[in-house]
Amino acid sequence: MKTLRGILSGEALSWAGAVAAILAVFLVLMLMVGAPIIEALQGFFSGAFGGRRYAYLMTTLSRTTLIAGMAISVMLSFRAGLFNIGGEGQLVVGGLVAALVGVLLPGPPLFVLTASILAAMVAGGLWALLAGVLQLYVGVPLLVGSLLLNYPARYLASYMVAHPYRDVQSGMIQSHLVPMETWLPYFPGTRLDIGILFVGVAAAFAIVYSYTTVHGYHSRLNGLSPDFARAVGLPVKKLTLQTLAMSGAIAGLVGAVAVFGIHHRYIDGMLVQPLYAWTGIIAVLLVNMVPWAVPLSGFFFAAVQTGAAGMERAASVPKEIAFIMQAVIILFVASRVSGALTASSTRRETDNV
Amino acid sequence: MRVDLSGITVRFGPVTAVDDVSLGIEPGEIHAVLGENGAGKSTLMNALFGLVRPESGTISVDGKERQWTSPQDAIGAGLGMVHQHFMLQDSMSVLENIVLCSEPANSLGFISFAEARRHLDERAQGHGIALPLDRQVGALSVGEKQVVEILKLLYRDARVLILDEPTSVLTPQEKDRLFAVLRSFRAEGRAIVLITHKLDEVMEIADHVSVMRGGRLISSEPLSATSKDRIAREIIGGELPPTRERKKRPLGDVVLSAENLEIAGRGFTVGPLSFSVRAGEIVGIAGVSGNGQADLVEALVGLKRPLAGTVSLLDQRIEQQDIEARRHIGMSYIPEDRQRTGLALGATASENANAGRDDRAAFARGPFLNRGAMADFARALIDRFRIRVAGPSAAADTMSGGNKQKLVVGRELARNTPLVIAENPTWGVDIGAIDFIYGELMRMRDEGHAVLLISTELDEILALSDRILVMYEGRIAGEVSGEEADRDQIGSLMTSRAADALAEVA
Repeated sequence: MKTLRGILSGEALSWAGAVAAILAVFLVLMLMVGAPIIEALQGFFSGAFGGRRYAYLMTTLSRTTLIAGMAISVMLSFRAGLFNIGGEGQLVVGGLVAALVGVLLPGPPLFVLTASILAAMVAGGLWALLAGVLQLYVGVPLLVGSLLLNYPARYLASYMVAHPYRDVQSGMIQSHLVPMETWLPYFPGTRLDIGILFVGVAAAFAIVYSYTTVHGYHSRLNGLSPDFARAVGLPVKKLTLQTLAMSGAIAGLVGAVAVFGIHHRYIDGMLVQPLYAWTGIIAVLLVNMVPWAVPLSGFFFAAVQTGAAGMERAASVPKEIAFIMQAVIILFVASRVSGALTASSTRRETDNV
Repeated sequence: MRVDLSGITVRFGPVTAVDDVSLGIEPGEIHAVLGENGAGKSTLMNALFGLVRPESGTISVDGKERQWTSPQDAIGAGLGMVHQHFMLQDSMSVLENIVLCSEPANSLGFISFAEARRHLDERAQGHGIALPLDRQVGALSVGEKQVVEILKLLYRDARVLILDEPTSVLTPQEKDRLFAVLRSFRAEGRAIVLITHKLDEVMEIADHVSVMRGGRLISSEPLSATSKDRIAREIIGGELPPTRERKKRPLGDVVLSAENLEIAGRGFTVGPLSFSVRAGEIVGIAGVSGNGQADLVEALVGLKRPLAGTVSLLDQRIEQQDIEARRHIGMSYIPEDRQRTGLALGATASENANAGRDDRAAFARGPFLNRGAMADFARALIDRFRIRVAGPSAAADTMSGGNKQKLVVGRELARNTPLVIAENPTWGVDIGAIDFIYGELMRMRDEGHAVLLISTELDEILALSDRILVMYEGRIAGEVSGEEADRDQIGSLMTSRAADALAEVA
């Protein structure tokens, strides 16, 4: 017990150290740009969690939807040992297909919405599958293949909304709006759409899948040791393709949610510039791929981003400084979280030399 | 130089790896430290060498108390260690490796290799060590790499040499040469600490024997004051298991056969190989590591596609099948590397025990895992194979090496397949576990399973095999029946094909 308490107090101390370090950097930055320190701090917290009727908290949650959704998609791949870093491409393809189906498919709103979401999931899944096929049958490493497939996805989407399916009248590079009746409704009294529920379901699925299913068990074994999985005769190829398809389908779902919940059309770059997919990857790595912690990690990243924006508004801290602050927070928290994880794994180590 | 350890205690979290051990190492003496895996002998030596910091206790050199903050301090004081896994840069030359970290450099920072060469010649002279100093280390054999490690110590004029399981990678002939060198060091007044679990070697070369068990020092006395039986009893903490009786049994049908099998190996093509394994026999494949055995195993198991030839299992062609299919037809595989291939260390004992089962219905309900059934299965395995682990839900990496291996062996043998392929099944495992694993493999044989044993431990091959095939440079250099096999004959097959060797002489 004594050692446990020692470890806990050590942990608390190092967290205190991390917070102190963050504050110190914050102080220096604020002094440097001559911004009011207290206002900036308040701006950060109200920007992330406050606002009139919690409007900013809703913004944070809306962002959480996309980041956590992408994080879940990435987690499924990473836990299976598949370094699928093509989430962006899968997200874009999903968003594009959702918007196009939404615009082009006639029928009752609920039918159109359902069909669009399913089509987006299929599209995202196929895009991820392509990277898997390239790895298994052509020999392109997944890390490379999945990354490189981001570019065709991005430019294909740009082309589609710049030429054949462009809303020319709007003067912007974007598709037409999907019918208003298909838009995801807001939670009553807020500006937060119900897209977060879809991601909630995806998160629940991912957690149940990871902890309780045979498929999740097998793919985790593959993630822990590919040599082991092969040697005990797990169907590694099948696992790879199925896991990638699942991962891509969730990315596609997130794309559809962004279309029907937030933008209501596909705008060029809307899923690429905010770096949702990449933030999702960092969010997963931060918590070492532990399934239940992934949505929380997504929320953390969203809050840091909206908080930095809040700081910019409230204390007129330049945007660049806000970004630096954001990076500093992530850096120190990441070092603490991974430090805690390493500490717990070294504690388990015994003398089996 | 005399080294004294007194009251050394090393703890890793709740585990006491070394418990109040006091030991004296005398100059001009070969001091063997024996013990099962996890007995603490490597940890004790790591403490002596500055790799781990003891919680209490002192190390003194020639009566003066010393403290190391890193191995560099220990090296500076005249200690040297050859680790079980060599610490060499493969892409550098022998000489570069030897001088690394103590280069004879002039004031401008240029290294004088001529000076190094002269210095080394001086030291190595008279020990009968010859090695081309300009060869790349990567091109050397395992035995030669070990010589490089020893030269490193000699170059630094280490007075106390610690060698961790030095013979585990050597042929009998190479071992003899190593021992000759060690004797010559002893004659010069150097102290040698030999960490080992091979009793025969201790009897052959040691002057002083220390036995550790469970982190404690059980005994430490001159070899002349003890006996082989007594040391063995001290190591395992009880009576020795009786020697095994080999039951004569009629041979069954051919279970596994390979015809003209050719496999892409590391640097050379392995094969063509033709052999078969029948039900009720253990066929041993002997050979120094790196002569194509690993490639053969990969091709048989399905980790690698062969270049040519056929493999049949129970009269079905399998050389193009994947591992899953082969296992389903009737193959189990105990891989050499339990850390990566045998187990998924991050998973629990139960998750490891249930991997690769064919009877999915027994541990799953639809798409969901039946954790209870999985734990029951793991518990049964733990009981039957006497695996020491906190429970089915304990992580595999909390287990000791021997118990990890028992889990692998247990999982594979419990599948009860006609063919078992065992690759170095007792590598780095303690005597108790070795005996148990041998017993299980023999039981499989007696029950009419075909067992293919691939091992670089000659003793293991001799103890278990009905027939022995010796591999050298990718080919089968010879076949010997288990009954009439003798160590020297196999030893010479291990180093050259008999015919080739004769041709060379002529």
